[in-house]
Amino acid sequence: MEEEHVHGHRFGMVIDLDKCTGCGTCMVACAAENNVSVRPDESDKQRSITWMQLFKISNGKDFPDTEVSYFPRPCMHCNHHPPCVSVCVATATKLDFHTGIVSQIYTRCIGCRYCQAACPYQARYFNWWDGYFPKGKGLDRYLSPEVSPRMRGVVEKCTFCHHRLMRAKNQAYAEDRREIEEDEYVTACAEACPAQAITFGDLNNPEHKVSQLIKHPFAFRLLDRLGTEPKVYYLSSRDWIRRLADNFLPGEYHPVVNKNWMEREWSTKPGRDTF
Amino acid sequence: MELNRRNFVKLLVGGAVGIQLTPLPWKLTDDIAIWTQNWPWVPVPPAGAFDSVKSVCSLCPGGCGIAVRKVDERAVKIEGRTDYPVNPGGICPIGMGGLQLLYDKDIRFTRPMKRVGPRGAGVFQDISWEEAIGTLCSRISDLRSQGKPEALAAVDGSYMRGSTMSLLIERLLKAIGSPNYLRTPSFEDTYQMTSTLMTGREGPLACDLENSDFVLSFGCGFLEGWEGAGRILNAWTILRDKALSKKAKVVQIESRASNTASKADLWVPIKPQTEAALALGISHVLVKEGLYNRKFVEEQCFGFDDWTSSDGKEHIGFKTLLLKKYGPEQVAQITGLKPSRIVSLAVDFAKAKAPVALFGKEKGDLNGSLYECMSIMALNALAGKLNQPGGILISDPLPLGILPDFQQDPVALAGNSKPRLDGAGSPSYPFTRSLINNFADTVSGSGDSPVDTLMVFSSNPAFTLPDGGRFKKALEKIPFIVSFSPFRDETAFMADLILPNHTYLEKMDDVVWPAALQFPLYGLSRPVVKPLYDTRHSGDVILQIAKKLGNTIGDAFPWGAYEDVLKIRAMGLFKSGPGLVHYDGKTQTWEDLQVKTALKPDYKDFDELWKTLKSNGLWYRPQYATGAGQDPFKTPTGRFEFYNSRIEQAVSGNTRNGSREEILDAMGIHVRGDEVFMPHYEKPAIPVKSSDYPLQLVPYELINLATSWTPSPPFLMKTLYDNELLKDTSFAEIHPRTAAEYHLKDAQRVWIESPSGKVNVRIALFEGAMPGMVYLPLGLGHSAYDEFLRGKGSNPNDIIHPSKDPLSGMPVWWNTPVRITKA
Repeated sequence: MEEEHVHGHRFGMVIDLDKCTGCGTCMVACAAENNVSVRPDESDKQRSITWMQLFKISNGKDFPDTEVSYFPRPCMHCNHHPPCVSVCVATATKLDFHTGIVSQIYTRCIGCRYCQAACPYQARYFNWWDGYFPKGKGLDRYLSPEVSPRMRGVVEKCTFCHHRLMRAKNQAYAEDRREIEEDEYVTACAEACPAQAITFGDLNNPEHKVSQLIKHPFAFRLLDRLGTEPKVYYLSSRDWIRRLADNFLPGEYHPVVNKNWMEREWSTKPGRDTF
Repeated sequence: MELNRRNFVKLLVGGAVGIQLTPLPWKLTDDIAIWTQNWPWVPVPPAGAFDSVKSVCSLCPGGCGIAVRKVDERAVKIEGRTDYPVNPGGICPIGMGGLQLLYDKDIRFTRPMKRVGPRGAGVFQDISWEEAIGTLCSRISDLRSQGKPEALAAVDGSYMRGSTMSLLIERLLKAIGSPNYLRTPSFEDTYQMTSTLMTGREGPLACDLENSDFVLSFGCGFLEGWEGAGRILNAWTILRDKALSKKAKVVQIESRASNTASKADLWVPIKPQTEAALALGISHVLVKEGLYNRKFVEEQCFGFDDWTSSDGKEHIGFKTLLLKKYGPEQVAQITGLKPSRIVSLAVDFAKAKAPVALFGKEKGDLNGSLYECMSIMALNALAGKLNQPGGILISDPLPLGILPDFQQDPVALAGNSKPRLDGAGSPSYPFTRSLINNFADTVSGSGDSPVDTLMVFSSNPAFTLPDGGRFKKALEKIPFIVSFSPFRDETAFMADLILPNHTYLEKMDDVVWPAALQFPLYGLSRPVVKPLYDTRHSGDVILQIAKKLGNTIGDAFPWGAYEDVLKIRAMGLFKSGPGLVHYDGKTQTWEDLQVKTALKPDYKDFDELWKTLKSNGLWYRPQYATGAGQDPFKTPTGRFEFYNSRIEQAVSGNTRNGSREEILDAMGIHVRGDEVFMPHYEKPAIPVKSSDYPLQLVPYELINLATSWTPSPPFLMKTLYDNELLKDTSFAEIHPRTAAEYHLKDAQRVWIESPSGKVNVRIALFEGAMPGMVYLPLGLGHSAYDEFLRGKGSNPNDIIHPSKDPLSGMPVWWNTPVRITKA
């Protein structure tokens, strides 16, 4: 308890993969909120900058048992020795102990891309070119002054919309409050999701929804066994999705769900969860 | 100290070490880091006062409420409103990217233009509004003085028939003297016909999805953006929560493992174009096992049992038809399913307390099949779940104010009496109101084009029509084309005159009944920013055109501004009974739609309603939309009609236009006898799978790709995978077994060729594709706009081989025979 109090807030996210519909609004909301530049060719996924990225996964079964699902992946804001922080040469990225947010300071970044290599979730993006804002085209007219646009040569990544935390804190101070409410600081992706699949809040605060959701038996994290303690949790009722969350050797993965569950009357997709 | 070499070196080294101990080098390094990142080409968004403007999104018929954050006069972010009853805070990716449609100068027209280059080249010259309106008016006046006002035609793509803009466009044409008001086809057209024929009421579609416990979806792309993603995706969440506690089930019926099919509780893969057979097969089981709602059928339906008409003729009823032709084995043959699956679907449908059978194809922005819709509607009726919570509700159009009648002068009267160029409403297509595919064929036909001037509003038919390029061909023949589009789209590139509208964020316009909402709602968008360029609201332009033409035409439009027309419409709402103009977002509207007590309006007079409507964008009545409870059916028999009186009147009452055989052939109906007048399965008109074209092309839609008349915001390009779009090539999804037959590898380039054309794409192997089918996404293949969209991918519409839907005559776009060859 005391340790948590010393650390203050631990902002995290829970993404319900059953509710996620793969619409991509989170991706667009993130890019719109954070002044992410759009290049004419976004199909080169090695170069495309998507702080929030939606992965498409499949259960690998043949027609007609095929099932696709989607998987939003923001920065995990790892809580224990984030790999990117450990390797940063210029101290451009740090784990903030008061909020749990792994920050990125563009002006310090020298663009060595060590962090991009170190991140096991590939959540970091390098600006190979300057942002695409041709003169007179107007793409810079909808940029927000709360987030600095980046130039070439720096790495950028999801910041859990840190500027919205600043906005909420300013609002609270103006109203003579010290603490902010759960719904005052929400990331752009969580706010935009039309299926309400993304929940954001303080994992240290037992009243926030996220701290309750992570206790659900369906909750899991990506690459949990690396020990990075990511603060983004996922919920899924499907075992085949949970199985993809880490590199399991045969026999290492233990289904959470009782095998008989799939045979019960309402689950009408036979063969979905057989191994 | 002596100044020799040794001392000089000592001075330098000492100085260097000393400087390290001062803050200077560290300060300089820090400064250099900042200087090297502050180049003038890196945008620095100006700071300013923060504000938020509430409006309504009209990029699709869904009508989500949006709140737009601004910094001074610049809009910086669109967010979903939590105080709008359609979308609880959510919005779809296209709506989220709307600011790019507003601010990207290269895709917009900034002022009126006239064509100076060859047609299609997109070379225009600026002109003034006076010249633009003057040119159009003199063209129209010439037509009228030549006695050919019907040579003026208009294509309107505004979403809901009944939107104020569509009323004004039709009114303008009528006042001038032309019956040729055309609309781009949408699913709402198919539903309107289905509802009119079976219930006697026009619609719109009102579906209580959130309260359903068994959704049998015949191809509705719920997660592909069906009818309004903001609301539907939230409904999806509600159904997911219920499903986890076994309180609801969603069954998706389509041939491909779309997002909806993958995330539904059950995916039923049937061969494309056989949905009607499945619906009838399920109905068969309900009837055979006695699982249907006898009370509803006996008391409120017509044509279920065999009957004798007043002229002594014996007719078979729907029951006999079902039992004879749509048994599980027969339907299994047609659809490719197992008979046991058909039976289990029927049993589940009957057992559910609030089931709904829904029809739709992908997003619903293209039409469906009339008999298929009728078959599915019949299923709802058999279960007795029509007009019940959780089901499809019989609704009446919003009680908007009606515009006053107007006089037509002799020229107009003569022109309006001429037959429509598309044959809509004629004996071959008695129920359809607009057939743009026929229009294109008539224009392209031999001889001069019967259309002299074509006006295009809120639509991009050269790109969106699934007709193998026939409308594009027709455009080439039309002497004068006027586009009111704010965007530099494909149709506008073919135009001779541009009178650009504002974009949706710059104008006040209505959203009439967000698609498929189960209660009446009128949305009104407002300008979020002042218009950026010298564009004008097309509603105001119509008023100006009418005034300039003068005489009876000018008298038909006695309003100073478009807003005055909107006010008249709102007055109708005020007079129709209580409504609400605020929504606090504390409860979800659909939790409590039963009418318990009379609703108390939250406005005291019309002025307050109008003022709040303009600022808050909302008037709604959170009670089930049901057409006059006691008496819902307004058919000739006063009942829900399995056997359709109006179709019979249309077919039998037209013996002067040909024999019954000939009329049925003209309508494209292949069955004979009483079956014609009842929901039934029609075999596809074009033989699918001939030896020349052994595969079938089924276009599909993505929620993150705009397929209607507005372009995809560039942000959406980030969301497309590199096996959906790679550089400039789109992908066709085919099953690995099908690819193996042609010795094709993943990502290999191929030609997909139909009788109408061919496209060059790459292959994406996908196990979720039905073997023997080829799936191409709609929304790519633009040749207009800017570097984000132009030249990227291929447009399946270019190769769709159009056939006509029986009875409605609307295009059949979901099944084109194709072949694959290596490229």
